[in-house]
Amino acid sequence: MGIFWWAIFPYLMITVFVLGHIYRYQKDQWGWTARSSEFLEKKYLKWGSVLFHTGILLVFGGHVVGMLIPEAVTERLGISDKIFHTAAIITGSTAGFITLAGIVLLLVRRVSVKRVRKTSSFADMLIAVLLFLVVSMGLFNTFGFNLFVKSSFDYRATIAPWIRGVLVFAPDPGLMNNVPLFFRLHIIFAFAIFGVWPFTRLVHVWSVPLEYLGRRSYILYRSVGPVAKPVKEWERASGDVG
Amino acid sequence: MQKKRSPLLKKLRFFKAGEKLSGSWTEVTPQDRGWEDFYRARWQHDKVVRTTHGVNCTGSCSWRVFVKNGIIAWENQATDYPTTGPDLPEYEPRGCPRGASFSWYSYSPLRVKYPYIRGALLRFWREAIEAAKNPVLAWKSIVEDPEKAKTYKALRGKGGLVRASWEEVKEIISAMLIYTIQTYGPDRLAGFTPIPAMSMVSYAAGSRFLSLLGSPMLSFYDWYADLPPASPQVWGDQTDVPESGDWYNAGYIIMWGSNVPLTRTPDAHFMTEVRYKGTKVISISPDYAESVRFADHWLAVNPGTDGALAQAMTHVILKEFYVEEKTEYFLDYARKYTDMPHLLLLERRGESYTAGRYLRASDLGLPLEKAEWKTVVLDQATGEFRIPNGSIGHRWEGKGTWNLKPEDEEGVPCHPLLTLLGTEDGVVPIELPYFAEGNQAVLSRSVPVKRLERKGKTVYITTVYDLMLANYGIDRGLPGEYPRDYDDPLPYTPAWQERYTGVKGSLALQIAREFARNAADTRGRSMIIMGAGINHWYQADTIYRTILNLVLLTGCEGVNGGGWAHYVGQEKVRPMEGWQTVAFARDWSLPPRLQNATSFYYFATDQWRYEELPMSELSAPTSRGATYLHPADYNALAVRLGWLPSYPQFNRNPLALAQEAQKAGASTNEEVVSYLVKALKTKTLEFAVEDPDNPLNFPKGLFVWRANLISSSGKGHEYFLKHLLGTSHGLLGNDREKLRTEEIKWHDEAPEGKLDLLVNLEFRMSGTALYSDIVLPAATWYEKHDLSSTDMHPFVHPFNPAIAPPWEAKTDWDIFKSLAERFSEMARTYLPGLSKDIVMVPLMHDSPDELAQPFGQVRDWRAGETEAVPGRTMPKFTIVERNYPQIYEKFTALGPLLEKNPLGAHGISFPAQEQYEELKRINGVVKGTGAGSGCPSLADGRQAAKAILALSSATNGRLAVKAWRAEEEKTGVSLQDIAASQAGNRLTFDSITAQPGQAISSPIFSGNTEGNRRYSPFTTNIERLVPFRTLTGRQHFYADHEIMLEFGEGLPVFKPALPNRAFTGGDQFSGEGKKTIELRYLTPHGKWNIHSMYGDSQIMQTLFRGGPNIWLNDRDAAEIEVKDNDWVEVFNRNGVVVARAVVSHRMPQGTTYMYHAQDKTLNTPGSRLTGERAGTHNSPTRIHLKPTHVIGGYAQFSYGFNYYGPTGNQRDLTVLIAKLGEVSWLED
Repeated sequence: MGIFWWAIFPYLMITVFVLGHIYRYQKDQWGWTARSSEFLEKKYLKWGSVLFHTGILLVFGGHVVGMLIPEAVTERLGISDKIFHTAAIITGSTAGFITLAGIVLLLVRRVSVKRVRKTSSFADMLIAVLLFLVVSMGLFNTFGFNLFVKSSFDYRATIAPWIRGVLVFAPDPGLMNNVPLFFRLHIIFAFAIFGVWPFTRLVHVWSVPLEYLGRRSYILYRSVGPVAKPVKEWERASGDVG
Repeated sequence: MQKKRSPLLKKLRFFKAGEKLSGSWTEVTPQDRGWEDFYRARWQHDKVVRTTHGVNCTGSCSWRVFVKNGIIAWENQATDYPTTGPDLPEYEPRGCPRGASFSWYSYSPLRVKYPYIRGALLRFWREAIEAAKNPVLAWKSIVEDPEKAKTYKALRGKGGLVRASWEEVKEIISAMLIYTIQTYGPDRLAGFTPIPAMSMVSYAAGSRFLSLLGSPMLSFYDWYADLPPASPQVWGDQTDVPESGDWYNAGYIIMWGSNVPLTRTPDAHFMTEVRYKGTKVISISPDYAESVRFADHWLAVNPGTDGALAQAMTHVILKEFYVEEKTEYFLDYARKYTDMPHLLLLERRGESYTAGRYLRASDLGLPLEKAEWKTVVLDQATGEFRIPNGSIGHRWEGKGTWNLKPEDEEGVPCHPLLTLLGTEDGVVPIELPYFAEGNQAVLSRSVPVKRLERKGKTVYITTVYDLMLANYGIDRGLPGEYPRDYDDPLPYTPAWQERYTGVKGSLALQIAREFARNAADTRGRSMIIMGAGINHWYQADTIYRTILNLVLLTGCEGVNGGGWAHYVGQEKVRPMEGWQTVAFARDWSLPPRLQNATSFYYFATDQWRYEELPMSELSAPTSRGATYLHPADYNALAVRLGWLPSYPQFNRNPLALAQEAQKAGASTNEEVVSYLVKALKTKTLEFAVEDPDNPLNFPKGLFVWRANLISSSGKGHEYFLKHLLGTSHGLLGNDREKLRTEEIKWHDEAPEGKLDLLVNLEFRMSGTALYSDIVLPAATWYEKHDLSSTDMHPFVHPFNPAIAPPWEAKTDWDIFKSLAERFSEMARTYLPGLSKDIVMVPLMHDSPDELAQPFGQVRDWRAGETEAVPGRTMPKFTIVERNYPQIYEKFTALGPLLEKNPLGAHGISFPAQEQYEELKRINGVVKGTGAGSGCPSLADGRQAAKAILALSSATNGRLAVKAWRAEEEKTGVSLQDIAASQAGNRLTFDSITAQPGQAISSPIFSGNTEGNRRYSPFTTNIERLVPFRTLTGRQHFYADHEIMLEFGEGLPVFKPALPNRAFTGGDQFSGEGKKTIELRYLTPHGKWNIHSMYGDSQIMQTLFRGGPNIWLNDRDAAEIEVKDNDWVEVFNRNGVVVARAVVSHRMPQGTTYMYHAQDKTLNTPGSRLTGERAGTHNSPTRIHLKPTHVIGGYAQFSYGFNYYGPTGNQRDLTVLIAKLGEVSWLED
């Protein structure tokens, strides 16, 4: 079983991820979209979307630092294990809470706002649920696990080397043997997301208009500051307004 | 071919740098720009087609429809109308948001895609055909079995339509037709479709088929109550109005009951533009309508009291411009073009007199031909009696003296005297009927008279003008009760009208003065645009006549920029002669059966059984009283005397009747007719109208196309459901304790479900489709060839198919053609050979029949008052041969009668052999050995359109010249020059597809458009001295038919709305303790729909509340605790409708508006009162038949299809409104 989950499944998902994107990009140009539903509902989206996107970018950064940098490197840089962990827990939890708040808002919106629900595809629902599960487990692993379980488990000695192994095509499933359940589920669901990614709205990640950053900015429209309250005809006539 | 490159590979060029230019403001980029094609392709299309919309707004706007990948993608307004000239705004572009959204329908969920049939009926049919193996017997076994018939009829309107094949429905319909023709006669079938001008070929398709069968077409203009009977009464013309461009020539415009910006959207710009020229605009409307926004003054008149306002304005104009200041332009116009100088006989009444009929040449014993039909004036110079040219006697004696030249038959100059005052033999007291308070009052005034000894008796005569001055209370120092001044509240001063209309007397005075002053200064450029708001009333004809006073007295009629402009269901089939030839199969047989729909529906839906207002409460105190108490009796009288058509005809199959006569020894047609007359006299044969509830006399089959009868125009909706269709209904009143008829047989139990088969051709699931037994999928306006014209502009527009009819839809022409084919095939077996059909036709308008019944006296042959003579004292009877197996062959070929009979309309006719020959070359001839062999082909709609254009004077210059020549012969004045310059002009189907073309000036219509002039009615009459088609040949203020006098309508009078209440004695109503309010119920035209069209489109639904709604004044609403958007129940004895309240102070208190034709197909909840699904806007309505509308056989009071006849008016009603509370959708 361990071999399937930790040596086969990730590659399966990565393969689907890569080939899926190529297929979708080739065949479904008009469908390559974030499927914005802002037109249908704005209030929840304003908060949900900003929180989620900010959070997920921070979380992504955290994963890069936590997973890809071996313990030896940080130690050599003079960062003690304790400091690293404390920093990771504080920043990770903050980012995690932001992301979770965002995805909870988005999920609640998707389910409870009728017009958004009615226009949602299966993929929209699925990805929202998966993200919610992965994010909440991730937060639990970062924050709850450290706070409540008081285990001696160290992901930097187990998961991180495993994932680096996966990335260099030398996975060692043995590393995952004693990893607590929620960490494992977090990883499996995360890879599941990679697997469905090309077939969902998540493809918009690859269309971030990065070139805008380096482009000279054209200013087309600009607001002229606070909008004046219109004066009613009869108020003017009766002299109520200065 | 360019190789398609992978998007991913193309994307990789993202990393390749581009070349920057112009200081890096410009870049030559290697990146893919393919995405831009999407935006470019958005407006790319494969095909653009010129077509229009056949909706009966009669806007007739030219549209361009864009097709992309075989799909109709969008439409926009055409902008290539020919110019109106240098001093006028252009017509282009025309079109409104409703029209711009039409393409939605093509692919909408409402689209009827396949033939549908009521499931229960199909089941019965399949069983029956299986058992009988004979379609005719199969049909008989269903409809003659009371259980089966009741079962499928009771399911009408309740869903259960199932798909069927074209072959099967055509067989069922043909079986129904054959069975009905065999058993009851072709006159038991009928067709209803309105407004030919909105798509002439589609109209003609069904009417041609039915006319060939010998089945009646039902009129629409009178049924819709859009026909203003005042127009034939005053001018002898159905309706003739200016095109909207002519508004720009006006100096003063009153919009009276017409909401121009809303209902005439594409034309409204002329009204707003002319204001920049200084033209003053007045709006007369009970509510704060859109038209009010453009007006300089708003006269917020109480609904239905417009006549009072106009009476007061007439008073002011007569007093100030005729008596005080003798305005020469007005007086001259009155003498030349109106009946004002014509003499009337006075009738003695106690110590006083009343006005009687016109004096005739025959009264003076003059030895003239048709002397009974020539009216008399006094000559100004000599004071002698003179018979001026132009009266109806001159028209039909054919001596070329039918003209308005100021001379008599001998050519002696004749200048009529307007008033006798100053040359009178004496002054006599006169009593004039007055209806403002009940029907018992008279006005006692006096008139100057001449004395005349006649048959040993002394009689007095006066002029119409002197009578007018007496009626309007213009004090000339004669004895009688005259108002002192304008503030004296005696009839008809401005102070008097204030009591009824609520309009300030001073304002009425000001507008009257301004209107007349402008007319005097501009020589007639004051205009009144009038609309449904004042025309849908019971008393609309007299309301209209009071208002027409204003344009006649001021010399505005027949002047560009002046006169009346009636835009209510207006229609003008410009290519008239060609259209009516094709439409009524006049190329094969004459006459067609043409029935006035109001009478038809009045009896077919049994609304006549629910009358409660006796006519004695409406008759004039100056008359001998009402002939009958029940209005239906007047209709029976009218049929008997040949005034109105009436189909079904007799209580006998007309085909069987001919056989019966032949068996009894009648060998010639004349003998058959005299057999028939004898049978009628001895009552062995009866008119069907005398027993409409006898199953023998029911209409059995009805085709409805291009119309939404069961919902949109079915006034008395619930009566339709109960009696005609036999399904669930919401009628709250009953027919017990109601008025009883004298001439019509009463059955204690009223029949339900008279109709065997209702067939509807539609492209959307409308109210009618849902109540039909068979629904046939029709092509939309973007899918067929057809023609459209209007009186709003002078152009004739084509319909061209943008796509072929999708799914199983077909054009109307093709549907009726294929039906004719199947029918003819079956007729070879079941209806073989020739049949003789006895067709009864009334005394017709614009024919010598107008001289049938002299002096407007009612002489009833049945009462022995006169002999029964067909064509004089009773209807005409014609024997027409029917060959049913040949119907298809005749349908598809333009018949040879056209070579023999002249073409024509409106009393003018001219030969057309030349055009017939030409059409053989245009359309090609029919091959083979059938009936139509060698005739021009009419195989498809396009050929029909071409035939219509080729055979009409307004679209074929050579015919126009012929028509003017014919008119010259009748009138003896020279007219040919009018069309001379257009003799070579020709509107062909291809030319109007390329660009809109302007109709050619033709005597078929009364306006002269020579030299790109705007069309204004009667300009030919005024400028070229062609008489009006009336008794005197002039415009009539007075009407002297006995029935007009019976109801006190000799002169225009003010009559208030009928005193109908929501519920009366015999009707049960339990209010259930709910708070109710009784309000006048009006159903004006809406903003988000045109009748029921567009009201159900998604786009229009989103513009306003989306569902049935009704407008209430805020104070009225507060009284029943209704807040905006609450559901309310609106009901009276006629039925119930449920809608949401729109509470607005734009509405007048005491009145509610439910905008017209919100179809029952959307958001219709259950009614608490009936327990059924609530009805439509027509549920609380019913029609009221006005006896003066049935008059016939007398000059301009003669029947014409859609020309004269009772209107289906529905305004004189009130409703109760209560809050609904719990809304039930009846979905459990």
